[in-house]
Amino acid sequence: MAGGSSEDNPVPINVVPMVDVIFCLCVFFMCSFKFKQLEGAFNSWLPKNKGTQGIPEEPKEIRIAMFWEPETQKVRRQFGQRIVEDDAELTQLIKSAHDDWVLKNKPDVPVIIDGDPRIPWKSVIGVVNITKALAIDNIEFALGAMDKK
Amino acid sequence: MSRHKKPEVEESISPNLIPMIDIMFLLLLFFMLGADMSQRELAGELVLPEAAQVPESKTDKDEGVQYTTINIHHDPEDGSPCAVNANGGICREDGHWQWSIRAKNFNKNTLKEQLQIEAEMNMETVPDPVAKKLLSARNVLIRADSAAPFGDIQKVIELCGLVGIYKIEVAAARPAPEGK
Repeated sequence: MAGGSSEDNPVPINVVPMVDVIFCLCVFFMCSFKFKQLEGAFNSWLPKNKGTQGIPEEPKEIRIAMFWEPETQKVRRQFGQRIVEDDAELTQLIKSAHDDWVLKNKPDVPVIIDGDPRIPWKSVIGVVNITKALAIDNIEFALGAMDKK
Repeated sequence: MSRHKKPEVEESISPNLIPMIDIMFLLLLFFMLGADMSQRELAGELVLPEAAQVPESKTDKDEGVQYTTINIHHDPEDGSPCAVNANGGICREDGHWQWSIRAKNFNKNTLKEQLQIEAEMNMETVPDPVAKKLLSARNVLIRADSAAPFGDIQKVIELCGLVGIYKIEVAAARPAPEGK
């Protein structure tokens, strides 16, 4: 590798500049190094047998509506007619509704997140997180009318 | 009796730099490999929304599973700075949010074409009994910025559905433990 004794080689290689360069490279990579954030993914398999449909007559669902208020740049969450202020309240409402469906022997009733297209993604993920914390796996995203193209 | 004269040995004390260089090379290699290469697929910065319940990603562990990662990130088309986004606000300007696959930006029409190509790379071998057609076996991972409009994610999901991709995952980051 680098170097060599001066007896063998009449022209000794000065390794010091190389070491300097390697140090510089090390410093460069250490500075640009970004620790990978631990991340994961929620499965969100699409249904195979239905597209976007209207609301069924008798909704068997737990629907959370999310509206965007551009003036305040805030998301308003609504559970039925009730405006939900914080996560604890939303958790309680989802849990209560889910428990009701479990009592009716329908534990697979989905939680549907019906969000305005302008709301930030983090607010949707926040609701997904609350739902997952309640061990409810059946979560659906409501989509708008599909393009016919 | 002749006394042997001890030969004079010239000792040159010089540090052996070779092991150090080797270690430097190893360190260099370590940092190069440890750097988050997936971020380099991006054209811009992306901050994932946080979710404590998100399961650890198995993307690297599942052998044979083919993924297409779609990044939705803030990157104005004209390259102009966005004051709203820079100040931590929620930007809803047209053309400020980009959809990219492998650092290449797509719009609604071109993304559908690209997804069609990606879907056809890994088709299931038997028709799905429910859908009554061949679906794609490919997984799509949507990595959307925490401030990205939900409408963009909805549109991407819709396009996936149109080309027969149903295995969709949405990425989120684990929040850092408290006190760290």
